[in-house]
Amino acid sequence: MISTTTLFGLSSAVLIGLGLFGMIVDPQPLRKILAFNLLGGGVFLLFGVIARRGAGAGLGGDPVPQALVITGLVVAFAATALAVALLLRLFQATGQTALDEAPPPAPSVDP
Amino acid sequence: MMQDPSNLLVLALILPVAGLLLTLVMGGRYAGRITLLLAPVGLAVAAALVVSVIHTDDALIYYLGGWIPPLGVALRADGLSAIFILTTAVVIGATGIFARAEFCVPPGQPESRISLTFWALLLTLWGALNLVFLSNDLFSLFVALELLTFSAIPLVCLNGSAGMLAAGLRYLLFALLGSVLYLLGAVLLYGAYGTLDIGLLAERVRPEPVAWAAAALMTVGLMAKTALFPLHFWLPPAHAGAPAAASAVLSALVIKASLFLIVRLWFDVMPALMNPTAAQILATLGAAAILFGSVLALRQARLKLLIAYSTVAQIGYLFLIFPLITRPESVSFAAADLSTELVAAVVSTSAWSGGVLQAVSHAFAKAAMFMAAGLIAQSLGHDRIADLSSIGRALPITVLAFALAGMSLMGLPPSGGFAAKWLLLTATIETGQWWWALVILGGGLLTGSYLFRVLAPALFGARESVALRVPVARYREVVVLALALCSVLLGFVRLGAFDLVQIGRLAKAGMGLP
Amino acid sequence: MISTGMLLLIALATPFALLLACGSRTLRDRMPALLVFAPLPALATALLAVNSPPLVFDEARLHITFVLDGPGAILLGVAALLWSVAGLYVATYLRGQPNLGRFSIYWLLTLTGSLGVFVTADLFTFYLAFAMVSLAAYGLVVFDGTPKARRAGIIYLVLALLGEIFLLMGFVLLAAAAPGDSLVIRDAVAALPASPWRDPTLALLIAGFGLKMGLVPLHVWLPIAHPAAPMPASAVLSGAIIKAGVIGLIRFLPFDVPLLEWGVALTAIGLFTAFYSVLIGITQLNPKTVLAYSSVSQMGVVATVIGMGLAAGQTSAVMATVFYAAHHLLAKGALFLAVGVVAATGPRRLWWVLAPAAILALGVGGLPLTGGALAKLAVKPVLGDGLVELLATLSAIGTTLLMLHFLHRLAANAAPALSASVPVGLVLPWMLMFVAAIVVPWTLYSMTGIGRYDEALQPKILWAALWPILIGAGLALALWRWGRYLPQIPEGDIVVVGQPALRVVVRCEDALARVEGVLRQWPAASLSLLVLMLILGGAMFSGH
Repeated sequence: MISTTTLFGLSSAVLIGLGLFGMIVDPQPLRKILAFNLLGGGVFLLFGVIARRGAGAGLGGDPVPQALVITGLVVAFAATALAVALLLRLFQATGQTALDEAPPPAPSVDP
Repeated sequence: MMQDPSNLLVLALILPVAGLLLTLVMGGRYAGRITLLLAPVGLAVAAALVVSVIHTDDALIYYLGGWIPPLGVALRADGLSAIFILTTAVVIGATGIFARAEFCVPPGQPESRISLTFWALLLTLWGALNLVFLSNDLFSLFVALELLTFSAIPLVCLNGSAGMLAAGLRYLLFALLGSVLYLLGAVLLYGAYGTLDIGLLAERVRPEPVAWAAAALMTVGLMAKTALFPLHFWLPPAHAGAPAAASAVLSALVIKASLFLIVRLWFDVMPALMNPTAAQILATLGAAAILFGSVLALRQARLKLLIAYSTVAQIGYLFLIFPLITRPESVSFAAADLSTELVAAVVSTSAWSGGVLQAVSHAFAKAAMFMAAGLIAQSLGHDRIADLSSIGRALPITVLAFALAGMSLMGLPPSGGFAAKWLLLTATIETGQWWWALVILGGGLLTGSYLFRVLAPALFGARESVALRVPVARYREVVVLALALCSVLLGFVRLGAFDLVQIGRLAKAGMGLP
Repeated sequence: MISTGMLLLIALATPFALLLACGSRTLRDRMPALLVFAPLPALATALLAVNSPPLVFDEARLHITFVLDGPGAILLGVAALLWSVAGLYVATYLRGQPNLGRFSIYWLLTLTGSLGVFVTADLFTFYLAFAMVSLAAYGLVVFDGTPKARRAGIIYLVLALLGEIFLLMGFVLLAAAAPGDSLVIRDAVAALPASPWRDPTLALLIAGFGLKMGLVPLHVWLPIAHPAAPMPASAVLSGAIIKAGVIGLIRFLPFDVPLLEWGVALTAIGLFTAFYSVLIGITQLNPKTVLAYSSVSQMGVVATVIGMGLAAGQTSAVMATVFYAAHHLLAKGALFLAVGVVAATGPRRLWWVLAPAAILALGVGGLPLTGGALAKLAVKPVLGDGLVELLATLSAIGTTLLMLHFLHRLAANAAPALSASVPVGLVLPWMLMFVAAIVVPWTLYSMTGIGRYDEALQPKILWAALWPILIGAGLALALWRWGRYLPQIPEGDIVVVGQPALRVVVRCEDALARVEGVLRQWPAASLSLLVLMLILGGAMFSGH
């Protein structure tokens, strides 16, 4: 029988893994943004697990992580908003969302 | 109010925030003036902070709402923070004056959105930087770092061109990846030790797997934000493409903030954790950054890209301090008659002072260089290095400033860069790690070569006269020159003043193993 | 009454003040006419303030110390004299050239550094002055703006920076071994023989200063840069600027403790340099290049003297070296000025110019009754009676040969117009320098107590100085007869190896840039993020 903390801990690990995979492999910026949210979700879940575990001494839960998670969610929300805004502007400017590699700066011709 | 010097910490945070609110209320027309009025006040606060840290000879602490950690949140300013806050105030002030011409709304013209955005972001950036330097718990630091990123990235894509939007987005995504890793590390630390307060963590952290994992996560996450090689790919396009005033702040200050945090982590939060191998790895990356950054700078066709790659290289120097501080036990010369403790203190002092001096003089020098490049690009309409012949004739003050800043980067006497290199080299000798001395010296030669590419044609070009498309305001040239002079004159503030670095350090002897 | 310490400060502040004055365009345009005055306070200081107490600024924090001891005063005085006369020469020689304001700026910068190295007494300020004289001279080398000058400039700068690096590391090692945090050169050098890093320190110092003096194989910049610079700049480069290396070795080597191996090594390098550069020099056609190789050769002799002094722990070697270097400074400065004078003189008046040049040139070889003979006499006791003394005499033969070759090339370089005559603005400084090169060594000879006139005038001594000259003259006749069979060696001889080395460097750069191109891709960068994390974690894990 797996305890709930272990279960949630494992889920958070899966989320973090998925998020990392997406961040690294996915070429689409929008998907990268989603992957970032997945990753963030995993980290916050882990924080929740820690809060729960810290509550072993009879309290319902360690309040500090909960407060921090809320702040973290706000930060992640802001980050997502900024990223999506940038992406939209990029789409308006170029008509595409692919985050192409910037062309390598032309090497100078040195004697 | 001024009776208790720790109020200065709050003041350093409130000033930019108040300016920001005022700006948002009053609009873009007044934004520039508000910032320019606040800059001297902020400088005075920063100077007062430095003076009172020296005066009390200990860190200043302010408990928010009077709550003491672990429940409350504290602000803390030791010598290191004070130095960085002062540097920030100077650079932000200079940037403000410099940016007036570009971003202030001239009377009688309609207010532009870009003006409001720029000044608001500059103030946010300033506040975020001060928060990074003053926060004393890992979560506030996370928030401060995010705030910094969110204000830095719009500055990058201020002109709204597609290329810069893409550069900004890449910067943002990579920075976010870095901050998630940092947060994950912080979470692990909280799980293991039940606090995020730096002072408490320093007492509680033990060498064990969870702490190692957290340290690796946080360090690498912050390295991504510092653009240490090989995680630097976002920096050159972002810093080179931003408006000159923004590039100056980004290259001089923003990347230093995450570096500051790595230093905090290694030497204040978990001094018991760091081992020589890890320190050598960091320094190896630093050496690679120096090599790659300099060689790439040597090959750039555009001045601003060259300066951006130079930043990549200069960051490398800052990572060389890790093995120089963490390896007192391998002091090679006969230390029989000195107690090892004494030797350790000597070692850490020169590496610490050298590192901080390098960071500060690079901040001034790089800000000056980006601004000088901005003036050159503005007046010529381009910044192609191949076409900068004899520009020194048309913009003597700007090119002089660029040359002086370059002197500091190269480490020529009497500049701050020279004093920093001297101290770092001394540290390599005292810790018996001569190979890092080779890196430092070789880096100087490489720096010389890429600066030569710019300065030789600029100063010794054969063209008789250069036609400027746009004249350059004298006061902007003077600001750039003043920054460059700051970087050079730092060389005279040697050893003595940088004892300040040691004030209020949590782990005095600093280094790892007992 | 100004204190002598203040005098020292004024000596350095004057050129610097003129430098600041260049900020104004009007003053900058007039500056070439003022260059002659810039070193005069230094000259006065050298005469008035010898052995005055050191001038110290904020010992605890700034560590800035100036001192004017005997060796420093001699070199400061003669260097100031040359700089002043060469400044006078500039006003006429470069009249009407473009970029004169720029030239004045670099001239004054170099001048400040050049005078500074003779009077600075702490590591920091010495390094500052040394860097100034080394790097600012780049502006003098490339002044002509020709491709040749630019190439010379690059080679000069690369080697100068290399020298700076050697010295920086050497100084850091010196300071690390010095007691307390004193940065005074004398304290640091006193601690050197007992330093745990004695050998690397000495190697770095000798490499750094040897590069400035032009010791083989670090001499390549000298025969390339000197001919490229305008005439008065060559004069100060070859006369005054390379003496920064000499004063460096004198100040930084511990002469009171015998260091046999290092002394022998330096002697060997010096002797090799002395002969090697004669051999290369006689293949050269440009009189300025020949003079540059002669400077290299003479600095080889200086290094030999220093090496012998170091090997035996003779402090007397310092004064002997300084005297030798001072004579070389004056004579070589005068000879470079002569090249410019001759180039403007037609065949009709040529002998009036060539005769004094010949006296100076042979003086460098040790012609009796010249300053050169005194210089050779002064270093004789240091060289001893053995093999080294014999080799040094042989090198005098070589020098004579080289200097006669120079005179030959000089005469070939005269103006084609039959009765072309030189402006007085060139002749006057040249004559001044000629007189100084004869008179000053004689004055210094007794004043400094190196030797006595009656000894120097003994027939035996005169003969000992004369016969190498005669043999050299015989060899020179052979060179004129068969010289065309000699191979043509490019200026800077071994610099040719630079070309393939440069190609290798460029290839490495390409490879690095390709690697960086890969790392700048998003997947590569973010993967390296993960890999770094694992490596760091692993390192910490395995470290415990």
